[in-house]
Amino acid sequence: MIVLEAAAYRYPAAAGWALPPTSLVLEAGRIVGVRGPNESGKTTLALVASGLAPTAIGGELRGRVLLDGRRTVDLKPYQLATRCGVLFDNPAAQVTGLHRTVRDEVAFGPCNLGLPVAEVLERTDEALGLLGVGHLAARDPARLSGGESQLVALAGLLALRPAHLVLDEPTSRLDAERSSLVAAAIERVAAAGVGVLLTAHDEALLARLCGRVLDL
Amino acid sequence: MPAAVVVTVTALAALRAGRLRRLAVAVLALVPVAVSSLVVNALLPAGGGGAAAAGAALLRLLGATLPATLLFATTAAPDLLADLEARGLGRRAVFVLGAALAAVPRTQALALDVVDAQRARGLDTEGSWPRRARGVLPLVAPLVIGSLAEVEDRALALEVRAFGAPGRRTVLQRPPDSGWQRAARWALAGLLLAGLAARAAVALVAR
Repeated sequence: MIVLEAAAYRYPAAAGWALPPTSLVLEAGRIVGVRGPNESGKTTLALVASGLAPTAIGGELRGRVLLDGRRTVDLKPYQLATRCGVLFDNPAAQVTGLHRTVRDEVAFGPCNLGLPVAEVLERTDEALGLLGVGHLAARDPARLSGGESQLVALAGLLALRPAHLVLDEPTSRLDAERSSLVAAAIERVAAAGVGVLLTAHDEALLARLCGRVLDL
Repeated sequence: MPAAVVVTVTALAALRAGRLRRLAVAVLALVPVAVSSLVVNALLPAGGGGAAAAGAALLRLLGATLPATLLFATTAAPDLLADLEARGLGRRAVFVLGAALAAVPRTQALALDVVDAQRARGLDTEGSWPRRARGVLPLVAPLVIGSLAEVEDRALALEVRAFGAPGRRTVLQRPPDSGWQRAARWALAGLLLAGLAARAAVALVAR
């Protein structure tokens, strides 16, 4: 469970608070939406809820953010990664560019944890299967469409088996057809028991996926 | 002489690997340097080395650049990185090397995006030279800013993939390394040491 208790955040060297005091609870298997105009703090909320802010990027956090009962500020980035995955809006920036195949790209996270090869492959195939992109396994990650790249990036997060996902405008750069693919994948992920925090401008997407929507 | 050997061996290896054309392109790229070396050494009195010195300089240049060209023409960057990692190179060093190798195509792709975006806004990138010169700043500024922003995005993307986890990474597959390849590497290393020793010996005798 992710819990924000009056969490407010200020970026390093910034004068103002990018995220005003915000409270929310994200339970396993639920999808909570976040909407608001540009510069309202959606991306900042995604960074705070996942613990990347302030753990990885610095800045000042007020209030409390708990990830499965532990304060995010007490966890290291790799410990956060195994509890909460974060998907950003730019698929191109989320593939490492170090791998020849999609399977190797998705396996990057489990490999970082030093898991046995058999477990890495099991997690990789499970993540690809859950998102319905197993047929891409042998493809070159650099030659995928935007929607495929986004799904591969999501599979890379799921291979770490996080209990939660924070998706920051995951369909903002995709056309309607690709957005629908990503939306269907998010539904499957939530049905598998993963709690999802979804920021988006797309009202139709929020209406389709989210039981609850928070306005910023 | 050693440079000539390196160039010959590289050319033969390229021939066997079917990459002679790629090597030829690299040689063509060196033509301006070769011409200027020839002009300085053979034609200008201040250069003083003559055509033989110009030829030797060009051979050294080819010897330094062609093996690297052949390496990247025959070896995919992911394979090279996987092999280095399997041999014990740390994850951060592997990533830095991989990022450096991928920087050129990535920047090219970003530059094309910027050019398309600025053209859509009416920037003339195909007119006269003065017009093109005026268009440089609107192209370069977004490219630099975009590259910096992408570095930040990539750093965060690595964090969320547990890149900073302690301990050794799992290596999924080790690139094939046959017995004769290992033997060839040891032989080349031996040849290098022998060459260095011979050179040192010649220098000592000359004194």
